Amino acid sequence: MAKPAYEKAITTKYIGTPLKLHDEKPAWVIESPRAMTHIHTYGLLTPFFEGLTKGKLMATKCVNPKCPQGSTWLPPRADCPDCYERMKWVKVPSVGTIYSFTLVDYAGIGIEMKTPYWQIDVAIKGVDTIFKGYLESGKPEIGMKVKAKFRTEKPTHTILDVCWVPA
Amino acid sequence: MITFGKGNLRVPKWSKRVFMVAAGCSPFRKYFPEYKLEELVMMGYKMMLEDNNLKLSPLEIKDSIQFAVYGQFADHFQDQLLCEAKIHDYLGLDPLYNVGIKTGGATGGTSILMGAQAIASGYANCCLVAGWERMDEVDTRTGNFYISTAACKDFETRMGRIYSSYYAPMANRFAWAYGLSDQVRAKIAIKNRHYATMNPNAQQPGDHTEEEVLSSRMSAYPLRFLECCAMTAGSASVLLCDEEMAYKLSDHPVEVFICGGSHTLRVADRRPMDIPLLPNEKPGMYDEFLKKNPRWPGFESFLAARFAAYLIYRMAGIKEPIEELDLVELHDAFTISDVQTYGDIGLRPYGQEVDYVESGDAYYGGKCPSNLSGGLLGTMHAVGATGIWQAAEVFWQLQNRYDYIHGDPKWWKRAGKKKPKNWKSLQVKDPKQGLWVSHAGVGSHVTVGILRKAW
Ligand SMILES: [Zn+2]
Repeated sequence: MAKPAYEKAITTKYIGTPLKLHDEKPAWVIESPRAMTHIHTYGLLTPFFEGLTKGKLMATKCVNPKCPQGSTWLPPRADCPDCYERMKWVKVPSVGTIYSFTLVDYAGIGIEMKTPYWQIDVAIKGVDTIFKGYLESGKPEIGMKVKAKFRTEKPTHTILDVCWVPA
Repeated sequence: MITFGKGNLRVPKWSKRVFMVAAGCSPFRKYFPEYKLEELVMMGYKMMLEDNNLKLSPLEIKDSIQFAVYGQFADHFQDQLLCEAKIHDYLGLDPLYNVGIKTGGATGGTSILMGAQAIASGYANCCLVAGWERMDEVDTRTGNFYISTAACKDFETRMGRIYSSYYAPMANRFAWAYGLSDQVRAKIAIKNRHYATMNPNAQQPGDHTEEEVLSSRMSAYPLRFLECCAMTAGSASVLLCDEEMAYKLSDHPVEVFICGGSHTLRVADRRPMDIPLLPNEKPGMYDEFLKKNPRWPGFESFLAARFAAYLIYRMAGIKEPIEELDLVELHDAFTISDVQTYGDIGLRPYGQEVDYVESGDAYYGGKCPSNLSGGLLGTMHAVGATGIWQAAEVFWQLQNRYDYIHGDPKWWKRAGKKKPKNWKSLQVKDPKQGLWVSHAGVGSHVTVGILRKAW
């Protein structure tokens, strides 16, 4: 039987990658590179993201008759903030009107759309919130009618699986 | 229509009065390799101890502190968990208890609120509030992405990965609803960046023309680079005391009132509601307005700021903000967020925000000048420090010490700069009280504070 490590004398070797000096003046500045993966659950909102890949826009609605609001939420949330009851999934129309917009020109690192592109906020009938997305083609105006387009093939498994085009 | 519970609307009341007696900050820069973070915090802390005409020596004050509140926006930027412990030890304040505060862009304001609560409750009679951010360890685009993770990561971050793209839709909606022009937004950038030229600590001071602002690089339409705030390395500190300690330490203490409000992280999730009215607003005055803009706060306004203002004016006994406030420091992270706030805090009624700038009220010499410090656009946005530094700038104004803090050549030297020949004083004449707004997200957390001369 080999001795366990804690019973041995050990000679230690450096197995890392030396860091680059980014600057030497006015002080030493080092570069610490990193790459990592986070795993992230969609939890109870999984039906929404799954719905996009099937061409459906799923919202949540509070159906508690005692709820002071009974709102319909898109982005969905599982639990109603007004009465704390679990909400119900409802399919909402895949059409809406542009409430506001911007042209994303200078985006942060990792952006997944080619810039510039139009980011839009869409008001949907029967939904109490205003849903953010992007316009795949055309030029937005406040009040313009748009319809949803879904990435049912090769989905990204993100919110980018839905976008909008002029209706 | 969302309504609020009666209990939710209770106006906060300190159990003991709260005072500010000293303030300090480091110079602010985009890239600050000369100093480590704790060294930058020490710089602002020492300025607070040494340069505020306090009646006890710095080490006697050190011996008087019982509690510390630290503001830091993002562990991403510092790349150091429990940074507060490192800073606290570096300032030699162990074993006093300390707490780290995080509420996005409102971290500084919230840190002061938490420090004030420590004083008001009697936990401490002398409390340090310090904040910092070191945003220069990553390149600008990575920094933009980090900040955009303060949008909802499931539904929003991917839509732009930069915070200007969450403000810009509000700018377009505001322009559509209330007729805000590019020129008025440009005026705000020009004003604040110009005031920054008088501030030795400013990161991006400059005298710009309207054309320069409106032809600067587009970030997210309609917001251009010169309409966006700095990304900064730096620190700020203030010292809070109860009444007895305040007058023991200073002949010129300033009384502190501060309240907060919140709203959804996603602008998307804002549902329409009644407008909580400020003391100077009459029931029914927004009836016509709401017929045209039925979704208040919509994308145009901030419930969090309005709610904080609703509370603070009642807490501090202010009836007519524009008449009673001598200056304000607003959270001008973007030109549009500055404009949006004018209505929320009652510098103008909703829908008439633009007039605050157009009338000249917002300028030095005007009725209630804003961001004489240079603001976030011209001077700094080291996020965890920002709301503390804004309070510091109001504090120095109330003490009639603008000229010393901004004009003494030693501060220009500390910042590695020469005092400009055309430097001029922006000291407001005999100010009694001022207000500052500390603001997070697209209005997720907002504190509104009032500082009032107390001698
Ligand atoms: Zn409910």
